[in-house]
Amino acid sequence: MILVSCPWCGPRNSSEFRYVGESKGRPDPNAATPEEWRRYLYVKSNPADWATETWYHRAGCRRFFAVERHTVTNEIRETRRPAAQLRLEGGGS
Amino acid sequence: MAESTIADADAAGTPPVARSSISQAPPVAVVDGWEVSQRTSDAVLTLSDESALAKVVVHGPEAGAFAGAMGVAFGRATRRDDGVLVVGSSPGEWLLIGAPGTGAALEAAVAAGVDPAGDPAGDFVTMVDITHGRALIRLTGAAAPSLMAKICAVDLDDRVTPNATALRTSVAKLVTDVVRDDRPDGTRSYLLHCDRSSGQVLFDAVLDAGIEHGIDIAGFTAR
Ligand SMILES: [Zn+2]
Repeated sequence: MILVSCPWCGPRNSSEFRYVGESKGRPDPNAATPEEWRRYLYVKSNPADWATETWYHRAGCRRFFAVERHTVTNEIRETRRPAAQLRLEGGGS
Repeated sequence: MAESTIADADAAGTPPVARSSISQAPPVAVVDGWEVSQRTSDAVLTLSDESALAKVVVHGPEAGAFAGAMGVAFGRATRRDDGVLVVGSSPGEWLLIGAPGTGAALEAAVAAGVDPAGDPAGDFVTMVDITHGRALIRLTGAAAPSLMAKICAVDLDDRVTPNATALRTSVAKLVTDVVRDDRPDGTRSYLLHCDRSSGQVLFDAVLDAGIEHGIDIAGFTAR
Protein backbone atom coordinates (compact mmCIF):
# COMPACT_ATOMS: atom_id res chain seq x y z
CA MET A 1 0.00 0.00 0.00
CA ILE A 2 1.39 3.40 -0.98
CA LEU A 3 0.37 6.12 1.47
CA VAL A 4 -0.48 9.57 0.17
CA SER A 5 -0.99 12.23 2.80
CA CYS A 6 -3.95 14.42 1.86
CA PRO A 7 -3.47 17.97 3.21
CA TRP A 8 -7.07 17.82 4.49
CA CYS A 9 -7.66 14.18 5.44
CA GLY A 10 -4.23 12.84 6.41
CA PRO A 11 -2.50 9.65 5.24
CA ARG A 12 -4.67 7.42 3.01
CA ASN A 13 -4.24 4.51 0.65
CA SER A 14 -3.18 5.80 -2.78
CA SER A 15 -6.15 3.97 -4.33
CA GLU A 16 -8.39 6.69 -2.86
CA PHE A 17 -6.78 9.25 -5.16
CA ARG A 18 -6.68 10.10 -8.83
CA TYR A 19 -3.40 11.18 -10.36
CA VAL A 20 -4.18 14.31 -12.34
CA GLY A 21 -0.78 15.08 -13.84
CA GLU A 22 2.31 17.21 -13.76
CA SER A 23 1.79 20.69 -12.32
CA LYS A 24 2.61 23.41 -14.82
CA GLY A 25 1.63 26.95 -15.64
CA ARG A 26 -1.51 27.36 -17.71
CA PRO A 27 -0.99 29.76 -20.63
CA ASP A 28 -3.49 32.55 -21.20
CA PRO A 29 -6.08 30.89 -23.47
CA ASN A 30 -6.72 34.18 -25.28
CA ALA A 31 -3.06 34.86 -26.02
CA ALA A 32 -1.57 31.37 -26.45
CA THR A 33 -0.81 30.08 -29.92
CA PRO A 34 -2.31 26.69 -30.87
CA GLU A 35 1.19 25.24 -30.53
CA GLU A 36 1.58 26.58 -26.98
CA TRP A 37 -1.85 25.26 -26.04
CA ARG A 38 -1.07 21.85 -27.53
CA ARG A 39 2.17 21.68 -25.53
CA TYR A 40 0.26 22.64 -22.37
CA LEU A 41 -2.33 19.91 -22.91
CA TYR A 42 -0.26 17.02 -24.20
CA VAL A 43 3.50 17.43 -23.71
CA LYS A 44 4.92 16.27 -20.39
CA SER A 45 8.50 16.67 -19.13
CA ASN A 46 8.30 13.21 -17.46
CA PRO A 47 11.51 13.45 -15.39
CA ALA A 48 13.21 10.50 -13.69
CA ASP A 49 13.51 12.74 -10.64
CA TRP A 50 11.41 14.77 -8.24
CA ALA A 51 8.24 16.02 -9.90
CA THR A 52 5.50 18.32 -8.71
CA GLU A 53 2.11 16.82 -9.51
CA THR A 54 -1.57 17.47 -8.95
CA TRP A 55 -3.59 14.73 -7.25
CA TYR A 56 -7.31 14.54 -6.50
CA HIS A 57 -8.79 12.93 -3.37
CA ARG A 58 -11.56 11.07 -5.18
CA ALA A 59 -12.80 8.90 -2.29
CA GLY A 60 -12.31 11.53 0.41
CA CYS A 61 -12.58 15.32 0.60
CA ARG A 62 -12.80 15.68 -3.21
CA ARG A 63 -10.10 18.35 -3.25
CA PHE A 64 -7.13 18.87 -5.57
CA PHE A 65 -3.68 19.30 -4.06
CA ALA A 66 0.03 19.31 -4.91
CA VAL A 67 2.33 16.33 -4.41
CA GLU A 68 6.13 16.25 -4.70
CA ARG A 69 6.90 12.70 -5.73
CA HIS A 70 10.07 11.02 -6.93
CA THR A 71 9.06 9.26 -10.12
CA VAL A 72 11.67 6.50 -9.72
CA THR A 73 11.31 5.56 -6.02
CA ASN A 74 7.69 6.72 -5.55
CA GLU A 75 8.83 8.51 -2.39
CA ILE A 76 6.61 11.47 -1.53
CA ARG A 77 8.45 14.25 0.29
CA GLU A 78 5.69 16.82 0.51
CA THR A 79 1.98 17.31 -0.09
CA ARG A 80 0.39 20.72 0.14
CA ARG A 81 -2.79 22.60 -0.62
CA PRO A 82 -2.81 24.36 -3.99
CA ALA A 83 -1.35 27.85 -4.12
CA ALA A 84 -4.77 29.40 -4.76
CA GLN A 85 -6.12 27.83 -1.57
CA LEU A 86 -3.14 29.08 0.46
CA ARG A 87 -3.69 32.61 -0.84
CA LEU A 88 -7.37 32.46 0.17
CA GLU A 89 -6.37 31.46 3.68
CA GLY A 90 -3.76 34.22 3.89
CA GLY A 91 -0.73 31.93 4.04
CA GLY A 92 1.96 30.76 1.65
CA SER A 93 2.40 32.17 -1.84
CA MET B 1 -43.61 6.56 16.19
CA ALA B 2 -46.63 5.23 14.26
CA GLU B 3 -46.44 1.53 13.60
CA SER B 4 -48.59 -0.61 11.37
CA THR B 5 -48.19 -3.61 9.15
CA ILE B 6 -47.92 -3.33 5.39
CA ALA B 7 -51.33 -4.96 5.06
CA ASP B 8 -52.85 -2.32 7.34
CA ALA B 9 -51.29 0.45 5.28
CA ASP B 10 -52.68 -0.97 2.04
CA ALA B 11 -56.15 -1.42 3.51
CA ALA B 12 -56.22 2.15 4.77
CA GLY B 13 -55.24 3.52 1.36
CA THR B 14 -52.31 5.40 2.87
CA PRO B 15 -49.59 6.88 0.64
CA PRO B 16 -47.01 4.48 -0.80
CA VAL B 17 -44.25 3.51 1.58
CA ALA B 18 -40.63 4.45 1.08
CA ARG B 19 -38.18 1.63 0.67
CA SER B 20 -34.48 1.37 1.32
CA SER B 21 -32.17 0.10 -1.43
CA ILE B 22 -31.29 -2.73 0.97
CA SER B 23 -33.62 -5.72 1.26
CA GLN B 24 -35.22 -5.88 4.70
CA ALA B 25 -34.86 -8.91 6.97
CA PRO B 26 -38.29 -10.15 8.12
CA PRO B 27 -40.41 -9.34 10.01
CA VAL B 28 -41.02 -6.09 8.16
CA ALA B 29 -43.34 -3.27 9.21
CA VAL B 30 -44.05 0.27 8.10
CA VAL B 31 -42.63 2.85 10.50
CA ASP B 32 -43.07 6.55 9.78
CA GLY B 33 -43.78 5.81 6.12
CA TRP B 34 -40.76 3.54 5.66
CA GLU B 35 -40.72 -0.20 5.19
CA VAL B 36 -38.20 -1.36 7.79
CA SER B 37 -37.02 -4.57 9.37
CA GLN B 38 -38.17 -5.23 12.92
CA ARG B 39 -35.87 -8.19 13.39
CA THR B 40 -34.26 -8.45 16.80
CA SER B 41 -30.89 -9.99 17.43
CA ASP B 42 -28.83 -10.60 20.55
CA ALA B 43 -25.65 -11.27 18.56
CA VAL B 44 -22.49 -9.55 19.79
CA LEU B 45 -22.01 -7.95 16.38
CA THR B 46 -25.00 -6.58 14.48
CA LEU B 47 -25.63 -4.79 11.20
CA SER B 48 -28.79 -2.75 10.71
CA ASP B 49 -30.18 -0.71 7.83
CA GLU B 50 -30.82 2.86 9.00
CA SER B 51 -31.58 4.33 5.56
CA ALA B 52 -34.98 5.53 6.81
CA LEU B 53 -33.27 8.24 8.89
CA ALA B 54 -33.56 11.72 7.37
CA LYS B 55 -30.32 12.89 5.77
CA VAL B 56 -29.63 16.47 4.72
CA VAL B 57 -26.31 17.57 3.20
CA VAL B 58 -25.23 21.18 3.72
CA HIS B 59 -22.48 22.99 1.84
CA GLY B 60 -21.20 26.34 3.05
CA PRO B 61 -18.10 28.37 3.90
CA GLU B 62 -15.65 26.11 5.72
CA ALA B 63 -14.65 28.86 8.17
CA GLY B 64 -16.45 31.80 9.79
CA ALA B 65 -19.80 32.33 11.47
CA PHE B 66 -21.77 29.77 9.47
CA ALA B 67 -19.24 27.00 10.06
CA GLY B 68 -19.21 27.90 13.75
CA ALA B 69 -23.00 27.72 13.94
CA MET B 70 -22.96 24.22 12.42
CA GLY B 71 -21.18 23.31 15.63
CA VAL B 72 -18.79 20.66 14.38
CA ALA B 73 -15.50 20.76 12.48
CA PHE B 74 -14.47 18.66 9.49
CA GLY B 75 -13.60 15.18 10.67
CA ARG B 76 -15.86 15.18 13.71
CA ALA B 77 -19.49 14.39 14.53
CA THR B 78 -21.65 15.53 17.40
CA ARG B 79 -25.11 14.57 18.59
CA ARG B 80 -27.24 17.59 19.43
CA ASP B 81 -29.64 17.67 22.38
CA ASP B 82 -32.54 17.13 19.94
CA GLY B 83 -30.97 13.82 18.86
CA VAL B 84 -29.79 15.05 15.44
CA LEU B 85 -26.33 13.82 14.51
CA VAL B 86 -24.28 16.58 12.85
CA VAL B 87 -21.35 15.25 10.82
CA GLY B 88 -18.46 17.33 9.47
CA SER B 89 -18.01 15.12 6.42
CA SER B 90 -15.65 17.24 4.30
CA PRO B 91 -14.19 20.77 4.43
CA GLY B 92 -17.28 23.01 4.08
CA GLU B 93 -19.68 20.05 3.96
CA TRP B 94 -21.94 18.79 6.73
CA LEU B 95 -24.45 15.96 6.98
CA LEU B 96 -27.44 16.12 9.33
CA ILE B 97 -28.98 12.79 10.32
CA GLY B 98 -32.37 12.92 12.06
CA ALA B 99 -35.47 10.87 12.76
CA PRO B 100 -37.46 9.58 9.74
CA GLY B 101 -39.55 12.26 8.04
CA THR B 102 -37.72 15.23 9.56
CA GLY B 103 -35.73 16.25 6.46
CA ALA B 104 -37.75 19.39 5.74
CA ALA B 105 -37.52 20.49 9.37
CA LEU B 106 -33.75 19.96 9.38
CA GLU B 107 -33.43 22.12 6.25
CA ALA B 108 -35.69 24.84 7.69
CA ALA B 109 -33.62 25.01 10.88
CA VAL B 110 -30.38 25.48 8.92
CA ALA B 111 -32.01 28.07 6.63
CA ALA B 112 -33.20 30.03 9.67
CA GLY B 113 -29.59 30.39 10.77
CA VAL B 114 -28.36 31.83 7.46
CA ASP B 115 -28.15 35.61 7.20
CA PRO B 116 -30.58 36.58 4.39
CA ALA B 117 -28.36 39.60 3.62
CA GLY B 118 -25.72 37.17 2.45
CA ASP B 119 -22.31 36.16 3.67
CA PRO B 120 -19.80 39.05 3.75
CA ALA B 121 -17.34 36.95 1.77
CA GLY B 122 -19.97 36.24 -0.89
CA ASP B 123 -20.19 32.54 -0.08
CA PHE B 124 -23.39 30.60 -0.55
CA VAL B 125 -25.01 27.95 1.59
CA THR B 126 -26.77 25.10 -0.21
CA MET B 127 -28.80 22.20 1.17
CA VAL B 128 -30.19 19.04 -0.34
CA ASP B 129 -32.37 16.40 1.32
CA ILE B 130 -30.55 13.22 0.24
CA THR B 131 -32.62 10.83 2.36
CA HIS B 132 -33.80 8.85 -0.66
CA GLY B 133 -30.51 9.03 -2.52
CA ARG B 134 -28.28 7.41 0.04
CA ALA B 135 -27.99 4.20 2.02
CA LEU B 136 -27.10 4.30 5.71
CA ILE B 137 -26.17 1.25 7.76
CA ARG B 138 -24.96 0.77 11.32
CA LEU B 139 -22.39 -1.78 12.49
CA THR B 140 -22.34 -2.31 16.26
CA GLY B 141 -20.18 -4.54 18.45
CA ALA B 142 -16.74 -4.82 20.00
CA ALA B 143 -15.47 -6.70 16.94
CA ALA B 144 -16.51 -3.90 14.56
CA PRO B 145 -12.96 -2.52 14.14
CA SER B 146 -11.55 -5.99 13.34
CA LEU B 147 -14.23 -6.46 10.72
CA MET B 148 -13.62 -3.00 9.25
CA ALA B 149 -9.88 -3.66 9.04
CA LYS B 150 -10.63 -6.20 6.33
CA ILE B 151 -12.47 -3.77 4.06
CA CYS B 152 -11.14 -0.32 5.00
CA ALA B 153 -7.51 0.88 5.05
CA VAL B 154 -7.96 3.59 7.68
CA ASP B 155 -6.52 2.90 11.15
CA LEU B 156 -9.54 2.47 13.46
CA ASP B 157 -7.53 2.36 16.68
CA ASP B 158 -8.83 4.60 19.48
CA ARG B 159 -5.71 6.77 19.29
CA VAL B 160 -6.28 7.58 15.60
CA THR B 161 -10.06 7.50 15.25
CA PRO B 162 -11.72 7.99 18.66
CA ASN B 163 -15.47 8.14 19.15
CA ALA B 164 -17.16 10.91 17.11
CA THR B 165 -14.61 10.69 14.30
CA ALA B 166 -16.04 11.29 10.82
CA LEU B 167 -14.20 10.48 7.62
CA ARG B 168 -14.87 9.75 3.99
CA THR B 169 -12.83 6.87 2.67
CA SER B 170 -13.00 3.65 0.73
CA VAL B 171 -14.93 0.76 2.35
CA ALA B 172 -15.16 -2.46 0.32
CA LYS B 173 -13.93 -0.33 -2.61
CA LEU B 174 -16.96 1.99 -2.30
CA VAL B 175 -16.69 5.67 -1.43
CA THR B 176 -18.24 5.66 2.03
CA ASP B 177 -18.71 8.16 4.82
CA VAL B 178 -17.71 6.49 8.08
CA VAL B 179 -18.89 7.98 11.36
CA ARG B 180 -17.86 6.42 14.64
CA ASP B 181 -20.92 6.82 16.83
CA ASP B 182 -20.52 4.54 19.85
CA ARG B 183 -23.74 3.52 21.61
CA PRO B 184 -24.62 5.23 24.90
CA ASP B 185 -23.37 2.15 26.79
CA GLY B 186 -19.96 2.55 25.13
CA THR B 187 -20.31 -0.29 22.59
CA ARG B 188 -18.29 0.39 19.47
CA SER B 189 -20.51 1.44 16.56
CA TYR B 190 -20.03 2.82 13.05
CA LEU B 191 -22.47 4.45 10.69
CA LEU B 192 -21.61 3.75 7.05
CA HIS B 193 -23.14 5.94 4.41
CA CYS B 194 -22.89 5.52 0.63
CA ASP B 195 -24.81 6.08 -2.58
CA ARG B 196 -28.18 4.34 -2.65
CA SER B 197 -27.26 2.25 -5.67
CA SER B 198 -24.31 0.76 -3.74
CA GLY B 199 -26.23 0.16 -0.50
CA GLN B 200 -26.91 -3.55 -0.94
CA VAL B 201 -23.33 -4.17 -2.06
CA LEU B 202 -21.94 -2.45 1.01
CA PHE B 203 -24.40 -4.22 3.31
CA ASP B 204 -23.52 -7.62 1.86
CA ALA B 205 -19.77 -6.89 1.94
CA VAL B 206 -19.94 -6.02 5.64
CA LEU B 207 -22.03 -9.10 6.38
CA ASP B 208 -19.59 -11.29 4.49
CA ALA B 209 -16.59 -9.81 6.33
CA GLY B 210 -18.39 -10.35 9.65
CA ILE B 211 -19.08 -14.09 9.36
CA GLU B 212 -16.03 -15.00 11.44
CA HIS B 213 -17.16 -12.54 14.13
CA GLY B 214 -20.69 -13.98 14.33
CA ILE B 215 -22.43 -11.02 12.72
CA ASP B 216 -26.22 -10.92 12.53
CA ILE B 217 -28.77 -8.60 10.97
CA ALA B 218 -30.72 -6.43 13.39
CA GLY B 219 -33.81 -4.36 12.62
CA PHE B 220 -34.10 -0.59 12.26
CA THR B 221 -32.95 1.02 15.51
CA ALA B 222 -34.20 4.52 14.57
CA ARG B 223 -31.03 6.21 15.77
ZN1 LIG C 1 -8.69 14.51 1.38
